[in-house]
Amino acid sequence: MPLLEVKHVSKEFGGLVANNDVSFVLNEREVMGLIGPNGAGKTTLFNCIAGHFPVTRGQIVFDGQDVTALKAFEVSRRGLARTFQIFQASGDLKVRENVMVGAFMHNPSRSKARAKAEATLEFLGIADAGDHLMTELPVAQQKRVALATALATDPKLLLLDEVAAGLNRSEIEDMVALIKQINTDKGVAVLLTEHMLEMVMVLSHRVIVLESGRLIADGEPEAVVKDPEVIRAYLGDHIVSDEEAAHA
Amino acid sequence: MEAIKNALDFSDFPRLDLSLAGAVFAFLLLFPALPHSSFAMATMIQFLMFSLYGMGWNTIGGYAGQVDLGKAQYNGIGAYTTAVMMVRWDVPFWVSMPVGMALAVGWSFLIGYPLFRLKGHYFSIATIATSLVLKDLFEVWDFVGAATGLQIPIRSKLPDFLYLQFRHDYYYYYILLALFVVGILYLNAFRHSRLGFQLRAIKDNEDVAKSLGIDAHWCKIKAYAVATAFVAVVGSFHACYNFNIEPEDVMSLDLSVLIAMMALLGGAGSLWGPIIGAAILVPLKSYMGDWLGAASGLEGLNLIIYGGIIMLIAAVQPRGVWGMVEAVRARRRGGYAAS
Repeated sequence: MPLLEVKHVSKEFGGLVANNDVSFVLNEREVMGLIGPNGAGKTTLFNCIAGHFPVTRGQIVFDGQDVTALKAFEVSRRGLARTFQIFQASGDLKVRENVMVGAFMHNPSRSKARAKAEATLEFLGIADAGDHLMTELPVAQQKRVALATALATDPKLLLLDEVAAGLNRSEIEDMVALIKQINTDKGVAVLLTEHMLEMVMVLSHRVIVLESGRLIADGEPEAVVKDPEVIRAYLGDHIVSDEEAAHA
Repeated sequence: MEAIKNALDFSDFPRLDLSLAGAVFAFLLLFPALPHSSFAMATMIQFLMFSLYGMGWNTIGGYAGQVDLGKAQYNGIGAYTTAVMMVRWDVPFWVSMPVGMALAVGWSFLIGYPLFRLKGHYFSIATIATSLVLKDLFEVWDFVGAATGLQIPIRSKLPDFLYLQFRHDYYYYYILLALFVVGILYLNAFRHSRLGFQLRAIKDNEDVAKSLGIDAHWCKIKAYAVATAFVAVVGSFHACYNFNIEPEDVMSLDLSVLIAMMALLGGAGSLWGPIIGAAILVPLKSYMGDWLGAASGLEGLNLIIYGGIIMLIAAVQPRGVWGMVEAVRARRRGGYAAS
């Protein structure tokens, strides 16, 4: 069952084409990696899908509904949650309160939202951080809180933007386990962008590749990383031509 | 039901705060029975009024983080509604007060809808402008007495609870104190409510808030309406308390700035902040204006001191006095040790 269908989406900022005729389908319960070199348009595509930017052309269908013209808050109410690449922790809300903001989406009552937030924090293994301010937590824990807040909205699809940035090796391993757990235990589909290719390879059922705003590959992770066009996008032209020369 | 439970739930404050709050409340309750000058009584009434203004401002300016510098216009709408209805149609306070509140809230929707498309300083400046424009309109509008304002006629029989006219100030005082308690309980429910959380999330990071299903624009308009309702009620009260009102008095920029400044000084976005701010600034304002300013011929001294306070808040602790208290407490509690 397709959960998210991106159909011929283009996004232009003035003369700059950030996304050019991008089409792909993400299925229910699927984990999909979105990779590409810096400036390929990954975050822009996220912002278009989540409704933060209006698309220039194309259509986005989520869960059987056309969400192309909807605003971010309307898209998220339909079950699409996201985290942000640049995550700003402020001093105002405690961790539990932060997660409650997400939980309030489907629970207007405070006691229910609080219970939901506690359960989500427990699920992500940070129940003991509830009474602390975001600024008091280390980065890895802050990322978990952001994840918990998004998850507390009971999404069908989670967009994760560079969720491993700034984490060390063991923290990344924890994060991978966590995302797997969210996917399998809660049945949440995941679309993630990541610089750590290794992480994408381990997690994703399928990988799509953006380069200069265009989609250049879509397939199994193993197949995608062997795709000459993908290698060229990441490493440059001459390396591929050298390899091809060696094969010849 | 849950709103009532939330209104009475102060469990997240340490016992020390609650005992202090209890002591302060006992003092407020007993104050008229203690020996005091009429000037002290007038100052206390001002303190309660500004606490209520500040509580209202706190919803939009504190919890939602939208620095509103145009609250005087809503004070004016409340005051004028009550005064006009009393002078022209002999309508009691308890009828005109909700009407004034409704008119002010209606006006706040008209103003808020376009204004909340603006962000940060642009929003603040726009609120000042709308407030000044409304004041100018009232100054030339004959129906409301233009620049000379309106004089509410004295009732023949006092005390008159329907028209809020009393010979002794302590009647006014207790009515305000009742409103003050209602205000605190309402705000306590407000900060626990879904809207309260949503506003804090908006203040934190609007994009993140939107990604959590929050309609930021509509939430701000709602909070603005709540803030307006508080200010309009005090405005209506002010009309009865002062007997005569004029645009320069009830809709001045000074008032807008003072309201925001008290909440900011005490601690915007906290329950006690506006009350602390009013407790510091109101006595300062009345005693300074009376003794220092007039007596020594230093007319503008209070303005200089206000300016200094604003700079101090901005430089030292943007979250005001209450922010300092919380910072000390956070330090005592210690950091988070990852398990």
